[in-house]
Amino acid sequence: MATGGINLSKEFFELLKAIGESKSKQEEDRIIAKEVQCLKQKLEPTPPGVNPPLQSKKRAKEFLVRLLYVEMLGHDASFGYIKAVEMAASASLYHKRTGYLVCSACLSPEHEFRFMLVNQMQRDLQSANVLEICGGLLASTALITSDMVPAMSGEVTKLITHDSETVRKKAIITLHRFYELAPDVVTFDELYEKVRKVLCDRDPAVMGSVLNVIEEMAKEDPTKFKDLIPSLVSILKQIGEHRLPNDFDYHRVPAPWMQIRLIRILSLLGQGDAASSSGMYEILFDTMKKADVGINAGYAIVYECIKCITKIYPNAKLLDAAADAISRFIESRSHNLKYLGVTGLAMIVETHPQYAAQHQMSVMDCLEDPDETLQRKTLDLLYRMTNPVNVEFITDKLLDFLRGTTDLFLKQQLTTRVCSVAERYAPSNAWYIKTITQLFEVSGDMVKPEVAQNLMSLIAEGTGESDEADMLLRQTAIDLYVQLLQEKPPAKLPKILLETMAWCLGEYAYLSAALSLEDILAKLCHWNKAALQPSTRKFLTSAIFKLVAQAGTCPKQAAEVVDEYTRSKDVDLQQRCLEFQALLTTAPQYLGEILPVDASAEDVEVDVNLSFLDGFCQQALANGARAYEKPEDDDDDEEDYGAAGAASSAFKMTPYAKPETNINRSAMLARGMGTGGQPAGISLPPGSISGNQAVVSTSVDVVGDGLSLNTRGVANVWGKKPGALPAAPPPAAAPAPAAVAPSTFDSSATANVGGFGGPSSNAFGTASYGGAAYGQAPASVLTKTPEQLEKERMAAALFGGIVPGAAPPPAFAPPAPMAPPRQTVAAPPVAAPPVAAPPVTLAPAPAEEVDLLDLGAFDVAAPAPALANDVFGSSTLEPATATAPPIVETVSENEDVLPAPAPVQQATIDPFAAEGLLGDLSETPLQGFGILSSKYEYNGSVMAPMKIVTAQFGQQWGSCTATSPVSVTSRKVTFLNDFMKQCEEAGLHPVEAIGATNEGICAGIVEGGSKVVLVHGKLSPMGSGAAKIDITVKSTDSTLSGSLALYLQNMMK
Amino acid sequence: MIKGIIIVNNHGKPRLVKFYHPVESEQLQQSVIRRVFTQVSSRPDSFCNYLEGIVPEWGENVKLIYRHYATLYFVFAVDAQESDLGILDLIQVFVEALDKCFENVCELDLIFHSDRVHYVLDEIVMGGMVLETNISAILQSIKDQGKMATESLSKTDDSQSASKIREQLGDSKWMYSW
Repeated sequence: MATGGINLSKEFFELLKAIGESKSKQEEDRIIAKEVQCLKQKLEPTPPGVNPPLQSKKRAKEFLVRLLYVEMLGHDASFGYIKAVEMAASASLYHKRTGYLVCSACLSPEHEFRFMLVNQMQRDLQSANVLEICGGLLASTALITSDMVPAMSGEVTKLITHDSETVRKKAIITLHRFYELAPDVVTFDELYEKVRKVLCDRDPAVMGSVLNVIEEMAKEDPTKFKDLIPSLVSILKQIGEHRLPNDFDYHRVPAPWMQIRLIRILSLLGQGDAASSSGMYEILFDTMKKADVGINAGYAIVYECIKCITKIYPNAKLLDAAADAISRFIESRSHNLKYLGVTGLAMIVETHPQYAAQHQMSVMDCLEDPDETLQRKTLDLLYRMTNPVNVEFITDKLLDFLRGTTDLFLKQQLTTRVCSVAERYAPSNAWYIKTITQLFEVSGDMVKPEVAQNLMSLIAEGTGESDEADMLLRQTAIDLYVQLLQEKPPAKLPKILLETMAWCLGEYAYLSAALSLEDILAKLCHWNKAALQPSTRKFLTSAIFKLVAQAGTCPKQAAEVVDEYTRSKDVDLQQRCLEFQALLTTAPQYLGEILPVDASAEDVEVDVNLSFLDGFCQQALANGARAYEKPEDDDDDEEDYGAAGAASSAFKMTPYAKPETNINRSAMLARGMGTGGQPAGISLPPGSISGNQAVVSTSVDVVGDGLSLNTRGVANVWGKKPGALPAAPPPAAAPAPAAVAPSTFDSSATANVGGFGGPSSNAFGTASYGGAAYGQAPASVLTKTPEQLEKERMAAALFGGIVPGAAPPPAFAPPAPMAPPRQTVAAPPVAAPPVAAPPVTLAPAPAEEVDLLDLGAFDVAAPAPALANDVFGSSTLEPATATAPPIVETVSENEDVLPAPAPVQQATIDPFAAEGLLGDLSETPLQGFGILSSKYEYNGSVMAPMKIVTAQFGQQWGSCTATSPVSVTSRKVTFLNDFMKQCEEAGLHPVEAIGATNEGICAGIVEGGSKVVLVHGKLSPMGSGAAKIDITVKSTDSTLSGSLALYLQNMMK
Repeated sequence: MIKGIIIVNNHGKPRLVKFYHPVESEQLQQSVIRRVFTQVSSRPDSFCNYLEGIVPEWGENVKLIYRHYATLYFVFAVDAQESDLGILDLIQVFVEALDKCFENVCELDLIFHSDRVHYVLDEIVMGGMVLETNISAILQSIKDQGKMATESLSKTDDSQSASKIREQLGDSKWMYSW
């Protein structure tokens, strides 16, 4: 019966062969149907009392396996389920396993047979035979549903202390499964207690399996496991030291999966927790070093370390090590490692953008790779590293990809991303309009309607800078839409775009140079031939009305459309059309007044006093009625129905209101790019303060500040409290390296035009990161192929704004107002290859060069920390704090305040320390790391009250250019007093509280008085114990005002 | 966790299907298998072994991690909890274990002894969790099981009768009270 070595029947063999050879699904179905018939006969129950011979027992098992096969191919084999249940109950393990297997694979969660198996499983769990217990446990993970958990959990819990380690490890996983199914039966606390015991199990395999469970649980509630950190670290250490039996090695890496789990758990526990994180720095560093043995299992551990390092509270040394590893992944030939590299880079780049720079060419390669997974990951990376300089390039790439993809999920994601990137970083309004229009075209109704609203209100209201600019903007939009109108039939355009077009054309069609008003009107009327959405019809008719009014005549086509819609099922549309018809026939002279040109953004004139009611009111008052109290806000300009571009208060205009000025820079800073983003040796046009430096520098002359040590003390960026460490100084730390570097750099770097640029760029290792290499490109242009050049140009477009040295070449420079100052290559000429591939293991030569210089600088400073302290500390607000030893290593040498347990090696990394921290912390208000002290800190300096009076406040108010308005609805702050108190808590001086109008003003200074912030708040009670607070923060620095506004908003929420 | 494991051959015929995250209907299961196969098989071996977010039945953020061995694709669908490279190595462990069990495993072994393939897998992954990665431990327990199972064959089974079982199970339904 058995065929040769493989122990199975001829029938089964024939079946498999037939299926393998079947040409079509139909044929396969026929074969299976036959098989099902055959199995049905064979699976007839055995008559009672007969003990079947061995051979038939084997066959019975085979039938079940065949059943499983039939089922796997997608055919119904439910007739045999009962046989499987029966077999699961068999005393023979041989049958039991098969029975359970078929049941777990085939029975749907609601299947009633599952209940029949509970009893059997219970019995198996109580068995003396380890294998039966295991079978029972295994089956229960697959077969138990939430309502069966109570029947099983007791038995499973007992098994956690079973003698056999196989049983123990399976039991804990089963128990976790039960917890997932029925958390009210197997509670978190119960499982928690068990898990902690099992972690100390004498068998490493059991410990290894419980790590899975711990990770799941730590994800839910990390605090409960924080105390385990030392134990976990010690386990990890022991594994790393090969203390486990050799069995656990995989390709000579000790227990890689356990290491991975442990690191993952650590990353969950260390997230946003400086104290916990500091306990893992060392082990992470060691583990990463040990795991780096050039095989996959090792890389898996390294990668897990990278992920962990980017998640936990940042440490500069580790970040550098992680960046190093990432670069090796990304440069690797293996696609898998590349994938991990890009993923890792995306993780690190958001907070530490400077690390991306060295990989520009590799990233370009990945973007062009035919492998879609890699492409997607790279797009993700691009999105995360967008800044004002590279936004155009990145948006183009995202749109390209969007056009090419059919994957809905990806499409949705990319659409959102393009929107967000365009809103945050748009270099010009014209670009914004163009991009969003393209997005409408590609993604259609996946775009949120608000985006269209925003776009229309932008076009209607303009930027408010000058009328010409606004007109030009409208013209751009109209040209774009007229072109679309001519080229594409409406059926091919998505609704959202049609509506936007209709509205814009209705308002501004007269601006078109290409077509006359009448032509546009005619084209719009044509739309009606396509099947339109009801809402689009309304937009269309509105546009037609307006155009008719503007043209002064009503062409036949237009009249027809209007006439048709007077019979529309949509009452609103019908009424509008009827009204319009009536107007047209009876009083055409009023058309222009009723449908005015370009008035969408204007307030409709309303007799707000309602003077015609005066008589009525008087009478009512005379009759004892209460006088009416005017509500606070009177938005009365929402008359225009769909096209409501008018309600200006409803739109958040800030993201693109004035992109040319501060917004982008602040956004850039907010993303922690400020410091890294300031290119080396940028020649700063006088008066154009750039990014971070602007933040730090006082009103002192920029160059002077950069070069002289003394003035820099003024910035006093490290005057932060030891208690407030986690909120260590973001961009503020930047001047740190700058502070030290210039002293040694002065002579050599006098050529560095903009004082700050030189030193800070060195501090951030410009040259080492290939930025300089790019900077070199123009010189070696002639020797390169056009493709290379193109790629480099793309890379430059991409990495512009991230790295010093990678400012875009003119071809890609965004429109003038946005363009960062063009850089003069100040970094020392380095012979780095244009492809900026950093050598794999040790620090690259060019990097070394610069780093060494830097190091030199630090070396000079390091031996005399006290002195340095004085220099910096003298002018800090809280001098005591400057000398206090920071808890975290991250804050190391830069600041010269570290007790420096660090070996020299640590000193080398420092330039990044500042940056690392920076990046992270400038995000603090955004990511909500939690406010640690109630006082607002800016760049690490606590805000201090500025004691001025109202008159002075008024004077300052005008001179502060950066305004950040926010509003918040609060239940906490409902009275003016609360508001003032909150402001005081934040560190502001309450200047005056004006009870009559419910307004308050406060003032504060940051950075030792170099910057002033003024706050104005107005409370409007909303009833039911809540109030709306409108806060306006003014400052000379938009980053500062923006961040304080956010801070206050959070505080009062 | 691991949401599911699918082994499928170059022609799209499933060789092993295991859903840890249940997929309700038979049809859906088949569509998952087809979808996984089309996606995976359209990628040359030089591409990376990851595919993201393409199996809606398992929810968003599911990643397919697969390896292609001669005629078979081993596909693991995992969530963000699993290590990308770790799973790749786990597939390798699985295949090595199979290789040891079957002595030069080939596609035919997987078809003819699908039950044994399941048992091997059950020793490695349990309820979507990685249970054991130590290959010698895996092989040992497979061996133990095999031995016990064969021994148990000769045992007399007095509760064989289907009707009897049904009776028993039917009665016992009352026994667990919850």
